[in-house]
Amino acid sequence: MASAPSKLYADDVSLVVVLLDTNPFFWSSSSLSFLQFLSHVLSFLNSILTLNQLNQVVVIATGYNSCDYIFDSSLDLKRSLENGRMPVMCSSLLQKLEEFSFKDEQLSKEEPEGRIKCSLLSGSLSMALCYIQRVFRSGALHPHPRILCLQGSPDGPEQYVAIMNAIFSAQRSVVPIDSCYMGAQNSAFLQQASYITGGVHHKPQNLDGLFQYLMTIFAADLHSRSFLHLPKPVGVDFRASCFCHKNTIDMGYICSVCLSIFCKHHKKCSTCGSVFGQAQSEAASASDKKRKTPET
Amino acid sequence: MPQVKIIAKNFMDMVASLPAIKLDMLYRNQFICEAILRSLPPLAKKYVLQMLYIDVPITSKSLQEWVIADGSSKHKVAIDRLIQLRVLEVIDRKKETAYKLNSTFQTNLRKHLINGGILPREPMPSNVTARLPTLEELDAYAHGQWECFLLQLISSGQAERSTSFSSSMMRIFQRGLLRQREKEVPRLTESGFQFLLMDTNAQLWYVIREYISNSEEQGVDQADLIAFLLELSFHTTGEAYSLNTLTDDQRAMIKDLADLGLVKLQQGRKESWFIPTKLATNLSVSLTDSSLRKQGFVVVETNFRLYAYSSSKLHCEILRLFSRVEYQLPNLIVGAITKESLYNAFENGITAEQIITFLQQNAHPRVAEKTPAVPENVTDQIRLWETDLNRVEMTPAHCYDEFPSRDVFEAASDFARVHCGLLWEDPKKMRMVVKAEIHMLMREHLRGNK
Repeated sequence: MASAPSKLYADDVSLVVVLLDTNPFFWSSSSLSFLQFLSHVLSFLNSILTLNQLNQVVVIATGYNSCDYIFDSSLDLKRSLENGRMPVMCSSLLQKLEEFSFKDEQLSKEEPEGRIKCSLLSGSLSMALCYIQRVFRSGALHPHPRILCLQGSPDGPEQYVAIMNAIFSAQRSVVPIDSCYMGAQNSAFLQQASYITGGVHHKPQNLDGLFQYLMTIFAADLHSRSFLHLPKPVGVDFRASCFCHKNTIDMGYICSVCLSIFCKHHKKCSTCGSVFGQAQSEAASASDKKRKTPET
Repeated sequence: MPQVKIIAKNFMDMVASLPAIKLDMLYRNQFICEAILRSLPPLAKKYVLQMLYIDVPITSKSLQEWVIADGSSKHKVAIDRLIQLRVLEVIDRKKETAYKLNSTFQTNLRKHLINGGILPREPMPSNVTARLPTLEELDAYAHGQWECFLLQLISSGQAERSTSFSSSMMRIFQRGLLRQREKEVPRLTESGFQFLLMDTNAQLWYVIREYISNSEEQGVDQADLIAFLLELSFHTTGEAYSLNTLTDDQRAMIKDLADLGLVKLQQGRKESWFIPTKLATNLSVSLTDSSLRKQGFVVVETNFRLYAYSSSKLHCEILRLFSRVEYQLPNLIVGAITKESLYNAFENGITAEQIITFLQQNAHPRVAEKTPAVPENVTDQIRLWETDLNRVEMTPAHCYDEFPSRDVFEAASDFARVHCGLLWEDPKKMRMVVKAEIHMLMREHLRGNK
């Protein structure tokens, strides 16, 4: 039979959305300076674009208060020099990054003190997914998309719901989320994200060799991954954050109706409004009643 | 399209067959390194990147550990390809083999990744080049130019304006595609028809391959041409580049490329420049297998009538190869597939399968949605007519009779059967017919029995 028009390019054409952590609180305490980090990442982006003419790279900066697109290879990719020093690609990325971090800093001045120094991962994940959805709908042919989080800041438990929603929508649209965590303690969010979406999670031991890690693990296209030995999840931190105080908890209360998580006992579910019983016996009868009402 | 590969062998095979010194020279150019990298199978690309910053040789055993057991066949293909292109150098130690990246390739690719690709020439400023053609105009130009070339290639008389290729050059392109019997109009061979069925990029590579191997005979360095072509494919479509930046050989070549529609030449008051078209920038894309589908134009009806929505003379010529073109309207060609027209095609060595794939691949979008795109009764009939021609099969053979005894006859027939050469036997009259291929063996066998 004549082949049906295929929606995808060849197996190894990929669209990589890179989420760049630009949180100044993290980079000021990191062993790898932000400048070095950027040079690793720029070479990585270059090599992704070199691998295939149809490959596409989008970079989203994840700041402390905001996030924004800072580079899109489909828009500005010119092979020439600016001022005879730097390729246009790098200079346009750096310029946008500078503007972005300036704006991000402005926003943080209005912010009250005392927040956890996390970056806005949920926002950039959603932006990445929106971009990918737009690519899906744009035309007949599109590359295989994947997301790569280069994250160093600690998890922000108050973003738990938003991040989990993003992870599940990525899972639904078959977009793997790769994650490379450069911070001190491992990130539960990113472990779960990669585990659920079938991406790769890795925490490099030696940050000076970041480029080699990126090349060896994260440059592999989705097609070749089925033949390669890649790091497997050893133990995934499945801990959740409670909806009431945004704390990370091991054990808690779960609403039987909407599966919201709470660290303390409540009278009423704050998400769906179901009434919880007090004592063990009361609770049983209350839940019986509750179950009956919607059915009748 | 598997049959395409038969004649348009991968361009990279040609690069791989260059002598080692020339290949090393090629790798001095960053863009060639990039183009070569892009042409590799996905796993091989991965290996190159992974080994890029490793300076010591890697043993084949540790290389093997990168892949899981399922991928070992792909691993082998990737490694073979890398060695063939001399990207990987094999270092034989006492016990095990180790691999190392070609050092020129390695340094150039490193530079490329860190600095990004930088073309040897800058686009010209817009105040010098007054008005550049729009991308659509450029596409139309490239398409027209290419079609004109193809038309001239298959039937020299048909083209309205001829390209500046000398007739000897043209004959070189036609070599293998056309067959000329004495005092007859040249006819398309089987591979010639396949050539017309290929997509534009594959056709382009075929022509360029011929072009390159021909220029070798005229003393131009093959490696230089390949380098220039690959470099050209990294230029930006629609930008103007000055001709002064080219060497003399390249300038001679770019005129030919303009005839093929790869570049458009323009002249200003003082300077002249070339503008790469999509055909040129797609050159390195086509090295991989991802090719875009062309829009179809043919509708075949169950009554064997054929409507082709096209104004192109080339399409008309192709259709005329196997159908009777009845009339031609400005945007429509109407024809019929008849027994006579098909017999004509079969006589030229075109097979029924080729015709059917052509009709299917070029089906008009309206009918392409349906399955089958070409009515079944038509495809069946085309196949039947082909088998009609092959009703009688000719096999050269020898007839044996007057055997001295039944034993000798039976031994001989057994011998022939064992060698798969027995076509017919008549035990009563002790006669048999044996394929000519084993006639000598039979003779020796019979002599030995005496």
